[in-house]
Amino acid sequence: MELTDEIRISAPRDVVYAALNDPDVLRECIPGCEELTQAAPDQLEAKVVLKIGPVKARFAGEVTLDTTNAPNGFSLSGEGKGGAAGFAKGGADVTLTEDGGETVLTYTAKVDIGGKIAQLGSRLIAGTAKKLSGKFFTKFGELVSEQSTA
Amino acid sequence: MNDQTMTPEERAANLKGMGSSRKRVEDVRFTQGKGNYVDDIKLDGMLFGDFVRSPYAHARVVSVNKDAALALPGVIAVLTAEDLSPLGLHWMPTLAGDKQMVLADGKVLFQGQEVAYVVAEDRYIAADAAELVEVEYEELPVLTDPFEALKSDVVLREDLEGQTEGAHGPRKHHNHIFTWEQGDKDATESVLAEADVVAEEMVYYHRTHPCPLETCGCVASMDKVTGKLTLYGTFQAPHAIRTVVSLISGLAEHNIRVISPDIGGGFGNKVGAYAGYVCSVVASIVTGKPVKWVEDRMENLMSTAFARDYWMQGKIAATKEGKITGLWCHTTADHGGFDACADPTKFPAGFMNICTGSYDIPTAYLAVDGVYTNKAPGGVAYRCSFRVTEAAYFIERMIEVLAIKLNMDAAELRRINFIKADQFPYQSALGWEYDSGDYHTAWDKALEAVDYNGLRAEQAQRIEDFKAGKTRKLLGIGLTHFTEIVGAGPVKNCDILGLGMFDSCEIRIHPTGSAIARLGTISQGQGHATTFAQIIASEIGLPADDITLEEGDTDTAPYGLGTYGSRSTPVAGAATAMAARKIRAKAQMIAAYLLEVHDDDVEWDVDRFAVKGAPERFKTMKEIAFAAYNQAIPGLEPGLEAVSYYDPPNMTYPFGAYICVMEIDVDTGEWEVRQFYALDDCGTRINPMIIEGQVHGGVTEALAIAMGQEIAYDEMGNVKTGTLMDFFLPTAWETPNYTTDHTVTPSPHHPIGAKGVGESPNVGGVPAFSNAVHDAFRPFGLVQSHMPHDHWRIWKIANGLGMHG
Repeated sequence: MELTDEIRISAPRDVVYAALNDPDVLRECIPGCEELTQAAPDQLEAKVVLKIGPVKARFAGEVTLDTTNAPNGFSLSGEGKGGAAGFAKGGADVTLTEDGGETVLTYTAKVDIGGKIAQLGSRLIAGTAKKLSGKFFTKFGELVSEQSTA
Repeated sequence: MNDQTMTPEERAANLKGMGSSRKRVEDVRFTQGKGNYVDDIKLDGMLFGDFVRSPYAHARVVSVNKDAALALPGVIAVLTAEDLSPLGLHWMPTLAGDKQMVLADGKVLFQGQEVAYVVAEDRYIAADAAELVEVEYEELPVLTDPFEALKSDVVLREDLEGQTEGAHGPRKHHNHIFTWEQGDKDATESVLAEADVVAEEMVYYHRTHPCPLETCGCVASMDKVTGKLTLYGTFQAPHAIRTVVSLISGLAEHNIRVISPDIGGGFGNKVGAYAGYVCSVVASIVTGKPVKWVEDRMENLMSTAFARDYWMQGKIAATKEGKITGLWCHTTADHGGFDACADPTKFPAGFMNICTGSYDIPTAYLAVDGVYTNKAPGGVAYRCSFRVTEAAYFIERMIEVLAIKLNMDAAELRRINFIKADQFPYQSALGWEYDSGDYHTAWDKALEAVDYNGLRAEQAQRIEDFKAGKTRKLLGIGLTHFTEIVGAGPVKNCDILGLGMFDSCEIRIHPTGSAIARLGTISQGQGHATTFAQIIASEIGLPADDITLEEGDTDTAPYGLGTYGSRSTPVAGAATAMAARKIRAKAQMIAAYLLEVHDDDVEWDVDRFAVKGAPERFKTMKEIAFAAYNQAIPGLEPGLEAVSYYDPPNMTYPFGAYICVMEIDVDTGEWEVRQFYALDDCGTRINPMIIEGQVHGGVTEALAIAMGQEIAYDEMGNVKTGTLMDFFLPTAWETPNYTTDHTVTPSPHHPIGAKGVGESPNVGGVPAFSNAVHDAFRPFGLVQSHMPHDHWRIWKIANGLGMHG
């Protein structure tokens, strides 16, 4: 499954980049996030409760960051395991472009899913993924704009 | 007294015997919600099981942590392969002679494979606990394509490493299961080389699933006091299950009672043994309490036996006039992670060698290679005799492909190649002896009934209109003439796991002239209680309404191999007639004694024995029954009962002519069945109403398979069609009207001439629907397109042919 989107955030690129790498910000923005810790400079560990259709499960995951392209963007890859509910693994490329005082964030994510969540049909999963990323960026946008205007 | 005033015809009608459209006696309880299915069974102190299943299609099981699950209040036990292996129960034999993991023993081979079995006080706790079991997996490369699997270095079945012999001959590769060859390879190849015309095509019959409305399940109840295990379950073959449970568990067979209660559809899905049965039995033995396991819909679709998944490469040779001279077929059979086909032992690809169909093909060759992949195991006969629907689809597509090559009308091509009525019994090039048939009569009747020439004229006009831009809808005429092979089967060549495929019936007449009959089969909706009583009614002259029929309890019913492959009427139906005839033979002696004449001086007259030449002197079967128990008759034991174990001398060969007329919208891919005509010849017809119902049900399942139903996997081995949102199950909305018709060509070797019908409509229906789609696009250049023909795939055909401008 591939997801792509473009989001305009009313904050300068440096602020956006820093926020995207701030575990506290991420914890607050990721829907259903229970725990998020920085295990290493390039590694995050998280526990997230997700509900996709009739399946609700706690996913435990690890995300590795590749920041060689900072602050124009970064790449990440990771894997989350939800026990009986299944698993997800994949990666994303995030690009940050300055546009006036604002930042245009584009991302392309490629996600492979398995187990029960995969069987629910791609219609349900694509919709849920879209909704979740929407929620994330709405919250993220709010937080970052607050920070940059504060 | 009625008996003296009624005509023989009136007396026969009163019996509601063979030929009567007697209403189904089962429906009294089913229509009132009073059926008794496995999930209706509730026993004191009953526990519930649920599985932890693998989310991966291929992975090593590194560790299983039960702690969190065991800590949940209400959880009794969590079983893993480690717990079962000391009992030798972590593996079980499949019906194909392979071995299948009951609980994953270090490795999983398909998504949904059973890894651990949780036992808890209720169903919900069991499900919650299953989610708490932590399993660590190490992913392995996934093989979902059988052709790739045969080339890959990845070894799926490490447990078979070094084993060069499979259950059915030498293995060519570590993911290869068997090769099965029939016919004459060299002769067929030389026919192909010398033929005027050879048509070649790959015909794929996709993976699908029987999807009975009631999923699989069981209740195992071990009585520790008596040492007796009672196993209720959705078993299509209860006696075979008892024997298998005895062999693998070590429990003596007399200490096992298997009961199949009402079954909500089987269609082949409930023939084999599943991990749930084994785990429930073990859990009940360990806990001393009854344990129930019933799978949910997703579990049913992704883990219990699938059907089809045959890649059939075909070559068909003919003269330029269209006389077929040879047929060649190489099939690659995707069996999934374990070979769990339910085929007779000597037939690892079932009766795929019926693939010469209804045609007189002098030379033929068939080879089938079975392959392991990371998909669920199975390969069951979904509403067909073993692999017969694959065979019928193959030959009926190849005929169409040949018709295109020859630029001939497909109806005419069939007609000139049919086996002729005077050729029966017909010896086929691939080894079968067809018992009887009259294909030309059936074919002409079918073509006339639908006004075939009129349809072709309409189609020609439609093509012109389409080309002129007046319409966007095409008309397809789907033709099929199928020949089934059912009623497995003669014990000399048909067994499953060594169990001979005879069947049985025991009839006991009560003193007042009613009766109970018990059979080795089990109805899953076929209406046995209705139709088998009709056979007895006609044979011994007692009203069908006075005959109770019982099946499915191994403590009371005689041993038999169960109900699948349309074998109930051909085998158990024959046993029923034979048992009834034994009773009638004794009744004749009793009647002669009562009438004070010699045995040879009485003759059978519908429901009585009468003195020859003096029909007013008679004894009815009712009177005879009373005398059998209550009158001392010199030289005869009291009582009136008989049992017959029937080993059929041959299979039966029902056939039919189906025609589907379909409208197809080239822009949306939507289809509409305008007309469906089904002519079946199942030999002697026992209950025309039930036959019609069987045809309606079977054609509807055929519609599902041909037009949308499939078990699809993605490249990671995820089941993409694991719910009824994605797995097409037709409702009344999608189901068209059907016209049914018949001819009657009795089986010469069956006691009542019956051949079986339940599966014919699926065998004939699938090619009829598929050929209609192909026929619609034939004038635009389509030769072959794989099923299922859902709207998207039909749209793609149109798009590929440049029909979207």
